[in-house]
Amino acid sequence: MLRFIAGRLIVVLSVGLTLSIVTFFLLNYVIDPAQAIAGEDALFEEIEQIREQYGFDRSITIRYFEWFSGIFQGDLGISYYWNKPVISLLIDRAPETITLALMSVSVTILISIPLGILAALNPNSLIDRIALGIAVTAQAVPNFWLGLIMILIFALAIPIFPVSGDKTLFHFVLPSIVLGASSVPAVMRLMRTGLLDVINADFIRTARSSGFYGWRLVFNHALRNALLPVVSVLAVQLGNKFGGSVITESVFAINGLGRLALESILGADIPTVQILVFVFAIIFLFFNLLADILNAYLDPRLRL
Amino acid sequence: MSKLKSLIITLLISLMFPINVFADKSDDTFVAAFSRELTQLDYHYGTKTEFLILGDMIDSGLFYVNREDLSYVPDIASDYKIVDDTTIDINLRKNAKFHDGSNVTADDVVYTYNFIVKNEKNRRSKKIKGWMESIEKTGKHSVRFKSKYPYANLFNDLYRIKIRKNGIMGTEGNWNDSAQLNELNGTGPYKVVSFDPGVEVVLVRNDDYYGGPKGMPAIKNVIIRSIPDMGTQQAELMSGGIHWMYNVKKDIGEAMAKTGKADYQLGPSLRVGFLVLDAGGYSGEGNPITKLDVRRAMNHAINRDSIAKNLIGGPAKAVHTACNPVVFGCFQDVKKYEYNPEGAKKLLAKAGYPNGFDLDLWSYRDKEAAQAMAEDLGKVGIKVNLKHGKLSALNKARKNREIRAYFGTWGSTASPDTATISNIHWRDPAKGDRNLSGDPKVNELMLGAEQTLDVEKRKSLYAQGLKLIADQAYWVPLWSYSEGVLSSKSIDFKLDPDGYPRLWNITWK
Repeated sequence: MLRFIAGRLIVVLSVGLTLSIVTFFLLNYVIDPAQAIAGEDALFEEIEQIREQYGFDRSITIRYFEWFSGIFQGDLGISYYWNKPVISLLIDRAPETITLALMSVSVTILISIPLGILAALNPNSLIDRIALGIAVTAQAVPNFWLGLIMILIFALAIPIFPVSGDKTLFHFVLPSIVLGASSVPAVMRLMRTGLLDVINADFIRTARSSGFYGWRLVFNHALRNALLPVVSVLAVQLGNKFGGSVITESVFAINGLGRLALESILGADIPTVQILVFVFAIIFLFFNLLADILNAYLDPRLRL
Repeated sequence: MSKLKSLIITLLISLMFPINVFADKSDDTFVAAFSRELTQLDYHYGTKTEFLILGDMIDSGLFYVNREDLSYVPDIASDYKIVDDTTIDINLRKNAKFHDGSNVTADDVVYTYNFIVKNEKNRRSKKIKGWMESIEKTGKHSVRFKSKYPYANLFNDLYRIKIRKNGIMGTEGNWNDSAQLNELNGTGPYKVVSFDPGVEVVLVRNDDYYGGPKGMPAIKNVIIRSIPDMGTQQAELMSGGIHWMYNVKKDIGEAMAKTGKADYQLGPSLRVGFLVLDAGGYSGEGNPITKLDVRRAMNHAINRDSIAKNLIGGPAKAVHTACNPVVFGCFQDVKKYEYNPEGAKKLLAKAGYPNGFDLDLWSYRDKEAAQAMAEDLGKVGIKVNLKHGKLSALNKARKNREIRAYFGTWGSTASPDTATISNIHWRDPAKGDRNLSGDPKVNELMLGAEQTLDVEKRKSLYAQGLKLIADQAYWVPLWSYSEGVLSSKSIDFKLDPDGYPRLWNITWK
């Protein structure tokens, strides 16, 4: 098991390193950071001054190695755009993203698990089709569109929730629904398939012969077994939420890491984008690793 | 246990439900939204329009742009005297105060300008150092500027440099660039109450403000929120969460106004659009644009009036000069190229291109307008390959001398002088990459107009320069732009002739 974990960790670090190189070179190739920092109508002198000040006139390779060696000394760099250490930006913004990620996964669980159970208990029925319809719709609708529709309905037509901001937990309700909805199909289908498999298993037949029926049978015997693969998928989905909150945070003006990523990309804030890509990748890989370990723990064949 | 339970529930409820009271006239609080986030408070470290708006609210410079006639007027300065072409004496208002209550003196002004020119990290250092020879205190409330050469756009810089309290940014060799980034001891009509970078800045009226050309604000409290998504801003405006938003496109603004819950204004802007043509042949051999008839044909081929009216909208108009007609020095009596596709075809044939030619046209904004121009050029035989992308890509290609024609725009935010657009676009090609005319006379005239304080001489030089640019068709001047603002029915906001939103002049209805 330890060898398995060590192998996965090496993969995680290799992916992280590759990503950092690709991100750095792509960012520097595609955009002129001096121009982006200065703005559209900046004067030539202002752009050139920024170029010299930040060292953008030096080669990309030298700058990459400087950045990389800084990371090993615990220096994540200074944000050009915010004039702050990147680490303090991450610390400031992380709580909003963590709140949003946890609340959106809760939304996913609250919608997808009951839908999956209903669909599994009534296969090929109208209920099954409705559940599938909801899941497909949730997957097909883009986040920004769903966000604006939710604002129109629940903040303007029926003014229950605030339009934007992140001052209270109440502000997170609509964005959590938007972000959580996109994970509903995957979890719901897995729940449905898993439960269908379990319901047809021998031990359920045995339980049934012992007098267990209906919801009691589902909750006490079937669900516990069907939920195991769902939990590992939810772990992956949680990783997705951390990195996938860019649009949702921007639409709802939540001051989290996703919005920071967008602002940093538009502002050509290379040190912040670099670290964010790295952090998002590591979080995503970490949750994937967690899912792998969970699966390997449950199924020893995967450790081979 | 039950007490603990009820305490937890109470805490959760108080966290969950905000006190949903919107700021408005009843508590004298005006809320504006910007799409671009305010990352810090010190205008000297930001160049974008949003920073200038905030800077004008919390800071002041020696001069200011008068909203009515777009002239430079004294702000912290009370009056001034031009001693000679390179010397200007400025008296300061004796009642100007910093937000901490201390008086603004000549020491503060001298310190500010020395800080700017001696601190190379400051983004305005190079610009000011370019012309400023020295600044000296001539009295407790008076200073003298000496410039290296006669410099006409001086007042623009004297407006943009905001006065800092003596010593607040550190001392020479030990400058503290971040001293005023998150809290600011300014001199403007509003004081900063709190600042959450990227989220909001809360301001309160400075009751000790000296007045000056900005006037005393009517509204006591102002909140500027950063809301990146325009759709969300619209929803906030409809729900009463904000009172004002800008950069609103015509179709969206008009649709919002139809709801009856908001007013939409589409006013003029100082921004102009233009095609820059490689008349000087910098992009290599075989360039048809080096021929005058081809450039004139391109000027005749584009239906500026139609594009300005239908795609740019509002008060946008076709322009025929390499500047916005409303700014100082933008002489209008130049050769005008009316829309005449047949004439354009004849000129192309005369130049040796009866079947036209292929052209890469670079652009970075207003894609629809760029496509319309490409179509117009196609109608006379110029087959355009539109290279629409990021501004940085265009800049890179221009720097590498790969561009034959590009669609550029220039905002001149709160800079009502032809010098602002001409300085960067007609400078010596050795000092910049935008002057593709290949004609040293243009540089001599257009930048020469900056090097004298004699107003009549400046006008004359600009007239000659702009005539030459039009005669030789070094550009295809296109249109002026418009600025769209959506505002709540409860406020009175009027767009000024330069499209620059002066939020400190807003009043309640």
